[in-house]
Amino acid sequence: MLTSKTFIKKTKTGKILKIVREHYLRDDITCGVESCRECDGPHTLEAASTSPSEMCQGEHLLCPDTNVILHQIDVIEDHRIRNVIILQTVLEEVRHRSIPIYKRLRDILCNPDKHFYSFCNEFNKHTYVEREAGESSNDRNDRAIREAVKWYNKHLQTSRQIQTLLLTNDADNRKKALDQGIQSYTIHQYVRSLKDGKDLVDRLSLSGSKVFSGDKVQYPEHLPLSAIQKGLKTGKYLQGKFMASRENYTEANVSVADQEKMIFIQGLQNLNRAVHDDIVAIEMLKEEDWTCPSSVILVHTEEKDDTDEEEEKENLEKKRRKVPKELRQPTGKVVGIIKRNWRQYCGMLQPSIIKQATRHLVVTADKRIPKIRIETRQAADLMGQRIVVAIDNWPRTSRYPQGHFVRKLGNVGDKETENEVLLLEHDIPHAGFSEAVLNCLPTLPWEITKEDMERREDFRDLDICSVDPPGCTDIDDALHCRDLPNGNLEVGVHIADVSHFIRPGTAIDKEAERRGTTVYLTDKRIDMVPELLSSNLCSLRSNVERFAFSVIWEITNDAEIVKARYAKSVIKSKAALTYAEAQMRIDDPSMTDAVTKSLRNLNRLAKILKKKRMEKGALTLASNEVRFHIDSETHDPIDVETKQIRETNSMVEEFMLLANVSTAQKTLQEFPDCSCLRRHPCPPPSNFDPLIKAAQSKGFRIDVSSGKALADSLERAVLPDDPYFNVMLRIMTTRCMAQAVYFCSGMLPPSEYIHYGLAAEIYTHFTSPIRRYSDIIVHRLLAVCIGADASYPELTDKYKTQAVCNNLNYRHKMAQYAGRASVNLHTHIFFKNRHVDNEGYVLFVRKNALQVLIPKYGLEATLYLDSKTVTFEYDEQEHTQTCGEKVFRVFDRVIVQLTIDQSNLQHLKLQTKLVEPKIEGFSVPPSTPSETSDEPPLKKKKKT
Amino acid sequence: MAEVDLSDAEKIFIKHGVQDNCREDGRGCEDYRHIELETGLLSNTTGSARVRLANTDILAGVKAELGTPSPDKPNKGRLEFFVDCSANATPVFEGRGGEELAAEIGNILTRTYDCPSCFDLEALCIIPEEQCWILYVDVLLLECGGNLFDVASIAVKAALYNTKIPKVTVSRDEGLVELEISDDPYDVQRVEVQSAPCIVTVCKIGHSHVVDASLKEEACCLARLTMGVTERRTVTGVRKEGSGSLDPASLEDMMQTGKRVGELLNKSLMDSLLEEERQGSKKKPVGFLK
Amino acid sequence: MAGLELLSDQGFRIDGRRSHELRKIQCKLGVFSQADGSAYVEQGNTKVLAAVYGPHEIRGSRSKLLQDKVLVNCQYSMATFSTSERKRRPRGDRKSQEMTMHLQQTFNAAILTSLHPRSQIDIFVEVLQSDGGNYCASVNAATLAVIDAGIPMKDYVCACSASYLGDSPIVDINYLEESSGSPEITVAVLPKSEQIVFLEMNGRLHEDNLSKVVDMAVKGCKDVYGVLDRTVREHVSQVGSSLET
Repeated sequence: MLTSKTFIKKTKTGKILKIVREHYLRDDITCGVESCRECDGPHTLEAASTSPSEMCQGEHLLCPDTNVILHQIDVIEDHRIRNVIILQTVLEEVRHRSIPIYKRLRDILCNPDKHFYSFCNEFNKHTYVEREAGESSNDRNDRAIREAVKWYNKHLQTSRQIQTLLLTNDADNRKKALDQGIQSYTIHQYVRSLKDGKDLVDRLSLSGSKVFSGDKVQYPEHLPLSAIQKGLKTGKYLQGKFMASRENYTEANVSVADQEKMIFIQGLQNLNRAVHDDIVAIEMLKEEDWTCPSSVILVHTEEKDDTDEEEEKENLEKKRRKVPKELRQPTGKVVGIIKRNWRQYCGMLQPSIIKQATRHLVVTADKRIPKIRIETRQAADLMGQRIVVAIDNWPRTSRYPQGHFVRKLGNVGDKETENEVLLLEHDIPHAGFSEAVLNCLPTLPWEITKEDMERREDFRDLDICSVDPPGCTDIDDALHCRDLPNGNLEVGVHIADVSHFIRPGTAIDKEAERRGTTVYLTDKRIDMVPELLSSNLCSLRSNVERFAFSVIWEITNDAEIVKARYAKSVIKSKAALTYAEAQMRIDDPSMTDAVTKSLRNLNRLAKILKKKRMEKGALTLASNEVRFHIDSETHDPIDVETKQIRETNSMVEEFMLLANVSTAQKTLQEFPDCSCLRRHPCPPPSNFDPLIKAAQSKGFRIDVSSGKALADSLERAVLPDDPYFNVMLRIMTTRCMAQAVYFCSGMLPPSEYIHYGLAAEIYTHFTSPIRRYSDIIVHRLLAVCIGADASYPELTDKYKTQAVCNNLNYRHKMAQYAGRASVNLHTHIFFKNRHVDNEGYVLFVRKNALQVLIPKYGLEATLYLDSKTVTFEYDEQEHTQTCGEKVFRVFDRVIVQLTIDQSNLQHLKLQTKLVEPKIEGFSVPPSTPSETSDEPPLKKKKKT
Repeated sequence: MAEVDLSDAEKIFIKHGVQDNCREDGRGCEDYRHIELETGLLSNTTGSARVRLANTDILAGVKAELGTPSPDKPNKGRLEFFVDCSANATPVFEGRGGEELAAEIGNILTRTYDCPSCFDLEALCIIPEEQCWILYVDVLLLECGGNLFDVASIAVKAALYNTKIPKVTVSRDEGLVELEISDDPYDVQRVEVQSAPCIVTVCKIGHSHVVDASLKEEACCLARLTMGVTERRTVTGVRKEGSGSLDPASLEDMMQTGKRVGELLNKSLMDSLLEEERQGSKKKPVGFLK
Repeated sequence: MAGLELLSDQGFRIDGRRSHELRKIQCKLGVFSQADGSAYVEQGNTKVLAAVYGPHEIRGSRSKLLQDKVLVNCQYSMATFSTSERKRRPRGDRKSQEMTMHLQQTFNAAILTSLHPRSQIDIFVEVLQSDGGNYCASVNAATLAVIDAGIPMKDYVCACSASYLGDSPIVDINYLEESSGSPEITVAVLPKSEQIVFLEMNGRLHEDNLSKVVDMAVKGCKDVYGVLDRTVREHVSQVGSSLET
């Protein structure tokens, strides 16, 4: 049977087209019920296993409408909700309205334990309904859903009495359903009726009408989408991504496409209920109302409710008057939300004053997310726990968004829980590998076969060794160097041949692609590929035969490359060294074995290579990486040290860079359109403003006209009496840089391929396939180049490659953030029982605080200057804070005392106190073993 | 187009027959042959119709597009005719072979519709001087069996009757005009064709004249009058064609005949259109599958 | 917000077909009386009329005359209202000229050209409504028209398109699938001998998948053949029975 769909479409150019599409109606779409005798095909639905409900005694199936799925996906995901028919109408609507929820719904549909079945009612000739005159498309869809439920009821009557319940929160729809003899309930009624699901009630999202707080309107209205679109066209409004400030919850920036500078937004009224990551429409304020970030650090706390509206408004007023013209930034206000990008958030309950209250505020772990008001009866149980909540809505009359409880993670402070929070907040896939993935692994014992040897070069007798940080089990690179008869040297870089084990399109490949990278937390590693590969079969351990992908160069003694070749090989590493061990071998003149000799040669070549690179303008950047010494029993950190850089680190790095550049050239030559490369865009000069200003204060001029100029001026900016000054400048430079990103060569003009930091025309990642998916793609491309492996469709599809790159970029960023957050977490644990005075340097001067860098711990601490006893004068132009005679400038050396504020056991905070220079009434005396941190409060009047 | 070559005797036979109001196929001088009509058979057009008269087969499709009114008629929509002679009708039309005939038919259609009282173009205007509907009426000639003009005009009128333009709402926001198209497929604007003209071609044969001449009769005819006539006998355009000449008296006669026949033709066309409309969506379009 | 999902998880295409299913084909022979042969074919919403004239004397310039075989002259034309956005010209544009060439090539390979030397056969194709697979519907309609005209052919020529979505080939793609950026392969075959007389590919397709897609398209052609053959047999028996009475 055939029908056609006709609709009118307006094209981008304003033309109006009549589109006609065919729509085939079928009679072969099965109901999916296991006991049905009429239909074959998949039997996903087992009515007998539906959770017992008080409302429907017999066997029954559920059929939710679109809004139930969209709003209650947290409940739908629960294992107690089983045997659900997802209609095509619903699936399509969900897909149009929310991609993340659609993905979650698809995952549920794939899970056999959930017994979800997707019924193509739109293609079924019995359940298809045509839109009637005067009927809106929503009404039609509702009718289609009712029609499908009706069909199910009739269809299942013949074999066995199975009821199908329509779940909808739309009263009108429910009434119409009842009129047609369909049992229909709201999801709330249904969940409450579940015999074993009382706690599920908490997870129900609020329906739109329910508002917790009073009737007082607190926010301006959001414009409807049609008005926003109109405004966007005229340029009255701008569309952008809303990015809340981490430091001040009343401030945010909006990044507007095609505009370099972000639009600043200040004040809760102007933020107007936008949440971090939302796509919003903003309107620019008049230029005289423009303002700038207040430099006040203002974060949500558990202890108290936030400042009152009125007070804040007053503050705003004051601030605006003070903002001098030259500091003003383009400022706007949010007028509407184009798309919410709400996800689930980790947080903790804020203790409520009323003991028996069911409404609670959740303070989120992410400082950019506002507190969320939820309703729960398990407050006592949840107090002191890390929980996951979701936002449902944010009415105008509510100061905070309203949401519901999703699940609990565990006790606060518990390391497992905290790691879980960290991984969730950074969207890192960390569940164990699925059965399908593990089935892709080779069976043990794994042996190299004769065929393998025939297809690979035999490098087992070469003196290859690996150099890695201590404790490294996923060794993905190894090196060798030997003399050639013609006086030149042969250098080989051997990389674990992961693409041999991970074949395209397999479950393991898809999972690795999704994860994108291995994530390193301080005490935990979340592997991209299962451990059997990462730490065993792929890892180039010593004295075992392993597959490698080798890059072999012939190099002159002046480190000029004569030629390069690539080969799949079998190697047997002679030694797995740490950086320190390798360094010792090089430095110890008594050692003359082949491996050591080869290391010395490599080291010598690396120095020349590095020099050449520096001459081209490569930057040496600094970051404050630290290592924790972890107590082997309690797994608590017992000491902390910043990473030590040895010659050997640099040696390995040089050859990895060389291998990466070589493969980038080779793959690009063969695949100009679909190579996977890595670029580091040249940052816009304005990015460097803070750096230039800071250096100027110490009398140095930083030239940012080119990478080379920047590298040279950084080299010159040295204060003899302050060795840390140069490091700080380099740290600041790093922060001015843009992110390096993966991309597909066919998507950008070659002029954009450049890697600024490394001063390379092109670059890619080839050397760490165990922990980076990008390297796997590069391996596959290179394998095709040398004829060692076959190509496959997705490999040469530039859009697909770009999509993979986009995901990798996101995963890498998140992995980096998670790594940093993990260090922070351990810092807190480390300082829990310590009071230490440390040397630090002022990195930034803010309005109410100093950001102090503590080199010893690689830590950035915030020293608040909001004392009640003394007054600090902030100079906005010079970026200084003055208290009496003491002036604090960027780069100033200070001594601070670090303690953990234990006043609130649920949420430990690192507290920074000034020790030196001494300021009467503000600084604290140097710590002694029996120190009390509380100072007597002096009664002085607060100045305004 | 099948070539018709007639001998003198055959021509005389036809002429005499016409004089006696008895034509070679048995019709009277003012009778049309059987007409088949179907509308709405092309789902991707705004309106469509196919008309078959004897061997003449014409398909008309209307497409509504948004555009700007012509500067000299700022408050009117536009009606654009385009005629294409398909090579399917005769190999002579291959390439650009049919362009002359196509242009001729197109011109006459344009002329007969260019009359404010017979077709309301103002209804097609959305915002004066800025936005209006342009109705592109495309006529496709698929087979030629004589009397092309009349059949083309019937197809056009039927296609316009079938035309359903989506409803447009205009909203103004700070000088910027926004057009919103209704997403309800039932929310449409119809085109008023009650007083639209049909073309009647009156052929002078001997001393008499006939309408809807067959191919043979066309071969005997030296002069003909092509007239646009509405239901109320208004003549919206006249053109004399053919190599022969007409004396003023017979011109007057032919005009009268044209008006009379035109009125009847328009009426019966509207009747069958209304009848088809009544059957509504129950009827599946058959098109060329019959 | 979200683009179209051309092939759903449940294995249905946008219009409700499975990947191996053709659109509904309806056809008729002898729609016109003046042409020597004519046919009308609907494949879904793609509707095509074809007319055949000949074999007859060479028309126009005699320089086109072929001593040893018949001249197959084609014209592909699209009604101005056939597409969703109105076309300005029915023919003469690059695309129609290319289609004309393709038709000529296809029918030169199928008609027994040596039977009518020094003469000409005209095949005219008019697309009334276009919804993807215009070439295929044109070839199928022209085949029927040639049969209707009684011109001897080696075999029917049947054409069908196919594409590749995700990891499965799909057959007889409509306009939406055609314009989605996925590859498109069009083949015309002589179904009995399974000889490919025409093959064209648009878009990018990995070599490994080519044979899968071509197989799918050839399978589609054979299905089309079944429908066409049935129509011809019905038509002939109808004509035969009307002669008897």
